[in-house]
Amino acid sequence: MLLSIEPDGPVPIYQQIRDRIVEAIAGGRQPAGSGLPSTRQLAVDLGVNFHTVNKSYDLLRQEGLLRLSRKSGAVVQRDPGSGPPHPDWSRDWAARLQTLLAEAAAQGLPAPDILRACQAAIAGFAFPADNQAEGQP
Amino acid sequence: MSTGSLAAVVMVAFFGAMMCLAPAVTRPTVPFGVRVPPEHARATVIRRERHTYQYRTAAICACCTVIAVLVHGHGSWWLARLVLLAELAADFGCYQIARRNITAVKHAERWYAGHRQVMATDTSWRTDPPRFPVRWLMPALAVIAATVIVGVIRYPDLPARLAAGFGHRSAPKSVVSAFAIVIGQVYVTLLWTGLMLIVYRSRPDIEAADPAASTRRYRRFLAACTRAILILLALVDLSLLLAALGEWQVYRASGPGSALPVLPLAVGLLLLAVVTFRTGQGGSRLPGPSPSPGGRRPGPADGADRDDDRFWKAGLIYLNRDDPAIMVGARFGVGWTFNVANPMAWLVIAGIIAVPAGLIAIAAATGL
Repeated sequence: MLLSIEPDGPVPIYQQIRDRIVEAIAGGRQPAGSGLPSTRQLAVDLGVNFHTVNKSYDLLRQEGLLRLSRKSGAVVQRDPGSGPPHPDWSRDWAARLQTLLAEAAAQGLPAPDILRACQAAIAGFAFPADNQAEGQP
Repeated sequence: MSTGSLAAVVMVAFFGAMMCLAPAVTRPTVPFGVRVPPEHARATVIRRERHTYQYRTAAICACCTVIAVLVHGHGSWWLARLVLLAELAADFGCYQIARRNITAVKHAERWYAGHRQVMATDTSWRTDPPRFPVRWLMPALAVIAATVIVGVIRYPDLPARLAAGFGHRSAPKSVVSAFAIVIGQVYVTLLWTGLMLIVYRSRPDIEAADPAASTRRYRRFLAACTRAILILLALVDLSLLLAALGEWQVYRASGPGSALPVLPLAVGLLLLAVVTFRTGQGGSRLPGPSPSPGGRRPGPADGADRDDDRFWKAGLIYLNRDDPAIMVGARFGVGWTFNVANPMAWLVIAGIIAVPAGLIAIAAATGL
């Protein structure tokens, strides 16, 4: 998995690392069961503090996407083929999506453009064949 | 003419030539320690500074080598080393001039304006790490073993006083004075093996514009460089073995023959120079699949390597408190350097200095 961050960018580094890993899981580049580098190794590779990577991994663990153990390290737990998520998570996500789409509408982006942007984003995700049609907007 | 002073002359010529050629093997996006976006890597100021630096350092190398040759026949073994220090200081000055001039243009023309500055990594470096080529360490270990065997056989017949080191002084016969060269072999071999093991655990020196291809190039660079260093280690140990054989009176060389122990060292250094010249820093001179297979050609949208000049003091010393790395790719030439802001790096440096210092102190205290 290729991972790039903007250390001097406006988004906190731990959030960027978390976002890139989520994108890699959705894109099929980091499927369920695959391993990630240890927090120390990733911190060295990105030249950031060890606690920053720890925070990203902990966030992903809380979201149920990552399993952390002393024995097997950091392992991806869910991916597009893992089945439907927990209903509570879906509710939270819908609320966040509402805000994100509202930002576009508030800025004057027309509805077809918003839909096209959503479609383009989804096109890069690795949905399993049986829920591909459902994944299309 | 002692072997030691001859080795110093070789060092003056070798390091002078290396300093002169260093810009050619340095990553194009870090000319003279200044991070530049890829599209400015061939800027006029960089080409001009590179030419000026090469002319100046070539002249310095030629002058210093001539001076070293002239002074080394006068018995003052330290004079050639002084010449080496003066040569490196002069080259350092040329480097700083080039660095200052390129930095001035970079800031004046705002080369980084509008660039996404990113730090990239390929996690396959950790999930599928490169293996240290242990088998290539065997020749060095075999040479050390051979030195020990010859030493044990020769020890009973050695005279009461032995030449110490490269023949500058003499010391009473003892296990330590007779086997000092073996201790030197073990130290050099362990030191470089240890440093390379740290390098294998360090981050690859990769480009943000195409991390996958540059990681593959770095793997090839590390493999080639490690093998060349392990061969150099075997040849350094061989040089020390030949010096030991002279000291243990297995053979007596005079005239040009006294240069024999320097020969393996020179061959090893030449081999390392050829390998690093072919690979370039981090594999930057290696032909490679770019863009990555199945991928698109990288562009400015992928971002440029982060402008990290502020972490490089004098363009050579890496000091970044937020970076947990112990060693990182060198800024100039080919190799690696310490992150001096990391206490672990100082622990390693202290170990490198403390071991030989401790051995000398123990030898002096016990009179061995």
